[in-house]
Amino acid sequence: MTDTLLFNNLYVYLFVALFLISAGILGVLYRKTLIGMLISLELVMNGVGLNFVALSRLNNGSGVAGQVFTLFIMGIAAAEAAIALGLIIFIFRRYRHIESEKLKEMKD
Amino acid sequence: MTLGEIIFVFMTLVTIFGALATVLMSSMIYALIGLIVTMFGIAGLYVYLNAPFVAMMQILIYVGAICILIVFAVMIAGPHYLRRRPIKEWKISKLLIAFAISVFTFLIFLTFIRGNFDGDGKMALINTKDLGRALFDTYAFPFELISLLIMVSIVGAIMLVLSSKEEK
Repeated sequence: MTDTLLFNNLYVYLFVALFLISAGILGVLYRKTLIGMLISLELVMNGVGLNFVALSRLNNGSGVAGQVFTLFIMGIAAAEAAIALGLIIFIFRRYRHIESEKLKEMKD
Repeated sequence: MTLGEIIFVFMTLVTIFGALATVLMSSMIYALIGLIVTMFGIAGLYVYLNAPFVAMMQILIYVGAICILIVFAVMIAGPHYLRRRPIKEWKISKLLIAFAISVFTFLIFLTFIRGNFDGDGKMALINTKDLGRALFDTYAFPFELISLLIMVSIVGAIMLVLSSKEEK
């Protein structure tokens, strides 16, 4: 890195994105309710998007691919949130709880 | 240390502590507020990466759409999930798995740092016009697929909720 300013350093962005992904994985494994797992999954998606934009910008930044794919990630996250919340409401109406460890069967 | 660097460090700390609050808060509403704070921090980092359109979309889509959707789901699924959970309910195996995955990704990060980049670290200037032209020109087919995916998921969510209402 020729530039000495802190916000032009690629590794800072990569470290923040790594922290977001690790925290999201911890949340998916640690949370009990389905909504908590969904929130943690959003953290993972944000970390990946930050990785895309930072690598596309600061590593010989010669293209718009990183930003475009981050926008695609946002679209996929919106679709995934809609379908996951529909499923959560469906499960809540059937079982009256949304704790993932107590869901033994999804059949019928 | 210039003013820009101070604001950058502030945005980084906001992102990191927001993520910690999202994962570790026992109340679901507080975790959601932590997620919103994290979104704002990441939007600030996008501004520092010279991507203001992505930053605006971050706030608009994540905070304005997804977080509000999750708030509605929390309200429907009942506020008795806002109870506090004692710390002895932590499963040690899950913590070990999360720690192992984190150490693995951190090792990948370290080997990534040791290698040298081909790029010179300079920022190219990409404005929103280039972004829109690429979105509707080069990536037109994935863009249409995303719109189809969102429509199918919305119809699927409506079908799920309506079918569960009929059974009651």
